[in-house]
Amino acid sequence: MANEVRFDTRKEVDFAIIGSGSAGGILAKELSTAGFSIVVLEQGPYRKAQDFTHDELSVVLRMELHGGTNEVHGQTFRDDERKVAKRPFLSPVRYARTVGGSSVHFTANFWRFRPVDFKERSLLGPISGTNFADWPISYEELEPYYTKVDWEIGVSGAPGPFDAPRSKPFPMPPMPIKSSGVLLERGAAKLGLHAQPEPHAILSQPHNGRAGCMSCGYCMWYGCETGAKSSTLAAMIPLAEASGNCEIRPLSVVTRIDTNDSGRANQVVYLDAEGNEQAQKAKAVILSANGAESARLLLMSANMRHPDGLANSSGFVGRNLMHNAHSLVNGVFEHPLNDYKGVQVSRIIHDFYESDEKRGFYGGGGIDARPLFSATPILHALEGLPPDTPRWGAQFKDTMAHDFTRQMSIVASTTSLPLDRNNITLDPESKDAWGRPAIRETYRDHPDDLATAAFLEDRCAELADAAGATKAWRYGIHPTTGGEHLLGTCRMGEDPATSVVDSKHRSHDVPNLYICDGSSFVTSGRGQPTMTIMALAFRAADHIKAAASASEI
Amino acid sequence: MDKQGNISRRRFLQSASGLTGATYLKLTSPALMTITQAACTAKQETSPFKVLGAREAADFAAIAARIIPTTDTPGATEAGVIHFFDNAFAANMSEQLHAARAGLAAFTAALADAHSGISALNELSEDAQDAFLKTQESSDFFGLVWQLTIFGFFAMEKYGGNKGHLSWDLIGFEGHHHGRWDYPFGYYDAQVHVEADHGE
Repeated sequence: MANEVRFDTRKEVDFAIIGSGSAGGILAKELSTAGFSIVVLEQGPYRKAQDFTHDELSVVLRMELHGGTNEVHGQTFRDDERKVAKRPFLSPVRYARTVGGSSVHFTANFWRFRPVDFKERSLLGPISGTNFADWPISYEELEPYYTKVDWEIGVSGAPGPFDAPRSKPFPMPPMPIKSSGVLLERGAAKLGLHAQPEPHAILSQPHNGRAGCMSCGYCMWYGCETGAKSSTLAAMIPLAEASGNCEIRPLSVVTRIDTNDSGRANQVVYLDAEGNEQAQKAKAVILSANGAESARLLLMSANMRHPDGLANSSGFVGRNLMHNAHSLVNGVFEHPLNDYKGVQVSRIIHDFYESDEKRGFYGGGGIDARPLFSATPILHALEGLPPDTPRWGAQFKDTMAHDFTRQMSIVASTTSLPLDRNNITLDPESKDAWGRPAIRETYRDHPDDLATAAFLEDRCAELADAAGATKAWRYGIHPTTGGEHLLGTCRMGEDPATSVVDSKHRSHDVPNLYICDGSSFVTSGRGQPTMTIMALAFRAADHIKAAASASEI
Repeated sequence: MDKQGNISRRRFLQSASGLTGATYLKLTSPALMTITQAACTAKQETSPFKVLGAREAADFAAIAARIIPTTDTPGATEAGVIHFFDNAFAANMSEQLHAARAGLAAFTAALADAHSGISALNELSEDAQDAFLKTQESSDFFGLVWQLTIFGFFAMEKYGGNKGHLSWDLIGFEGHHHGRWDYPFGYYDAQVHVEADHGE
């Protein structure tokens, strides 16, 4: 890299950014290309496109991109604050630890929020026992940044009947329809619903010097070996590094943010690749570590001045965790779909996006069709078979041989309500492999969230039937015990008593600490949060640039 | 194997955000995941095992051969999953191998209890083997062998099983192909005009 730059930890950089994912990667690019000096501290290694494989055993089972199983991370879970949290085999909160963060391994379904998502509290009224609230910003305010994501990150798609207004068309046509999309369209047409092309953070054709998707099929959980998936690794980090103002510092495990006597953040303490403690001095700190890690780090950064954790005078750090609930119906069809090829999703249904009081509960969601468990063989053997199929023997083998190419899943993703009881805290006992207090998740779905998932499961079952499935089965509605969508734990708002950051992502308590990632969300949306995380990051960057230029940080 | 199947399904849904939550069968030990960490080189069937003795290898292979049997299509035997077992046990965790050996000893003892004079599963008829395995299928030992069999059958050939990617051929997964797939992929998308879609 011609412009490779390395900063001395003892010299103040303009910004230390914690996390290189969907938000951190964008902030790094925006601020470094504007001339600010940046160090990005990323806990994972610096994998590049050529490092990604199709190795299901390593990626899916051994959780390579997650940095290993929960033996490494020590996370704990409970469904009630009165219980002692236990350490499950599968980490409750899951994200990629690698440069580019979870934008590297996500499935790249990429919905904008709609205007209603930002003001549902006003439109629908309060929901007792919840922290249901309006966002301090509107769709209209965020729209230019959604468009910036479309064009700079690279989004493929086509307008649908319920889409929010957009100021510019999609930069690329949608990914071509797959058999699962054809079948979903068929089912939708019979039921009077509207299937539309899925927008993707995947290039359907070359864009910004990057190659288009070759439809290898390894999107979900895998890193993209051609860079067609619009991760910040592919789309932003190279531009940040080329600016000559940005150092990406991988294998840097942050342990705390220090503040000085005047209450300002002044350095970020971390363990380097050798496990030695380092401290990067910075004029300002941007925390973009994700909705679980950002909350953990703020809580770990408690000091005399901030006894309950940094930026936590409201007590809202870690609270209002939202995962989005899901439901799932699998179907087998007469002819091969070979849906393991190509992107996961090619058609979605948004007829049930908005909450409808006639249903008797709050919530809404989207439906898609995708291979899911028939994307790869081990996953299929573990999870994809009909419930009445024996788990071993000739019929087991023959069912796999028949079903693998003939199955698809119809999947609903839904709202989650923000609740005090759903939160990230520090486990009092468990530690991660670096000795940090482990993430403790406490979560129990609001009844409306499960009711929405059940309502949509019924719709998925109808769709499977209408699409012509020869056999279909439900996976059932179960309490959420973790997830990948890590939202709401440092929510934005104008009232410092009920939010952690203001509408420009500046923390209410620490003037030179910004927090921008999924934790900023006030409500959960309908299940595809990354587009909104990225739009928020572009918007935050503009506000941070303006404040820094005016010497107001 | 209802018990394990149900655990598996429940884990998926508990792990949901559902869709990206990798799910796992109940494991004898979470350490199983780390056993397979060392990259294994594919082995010829004739090469000696790294850690397994010939007899115990035959015993594990006999169970695997009933989990994914050889019928008119190939099964665990032809895929050489026992080499995956051996590589997995060799790569790490001697205590895990110890537990597996203890499980095999208990399994063999139970077999002898059920069928006097029988010391190896494949001395029984296939029907009798399956009937005996049904009595063992809720054990952690069977769960471990089941999982190693699935992984060995379907994981990349470099881990020692899935010889000639025969498991992928069996299910119609062209996983050895690395690179571009051209539309249409299947029967249903072939019925629509994908060229029109490209041109939107």
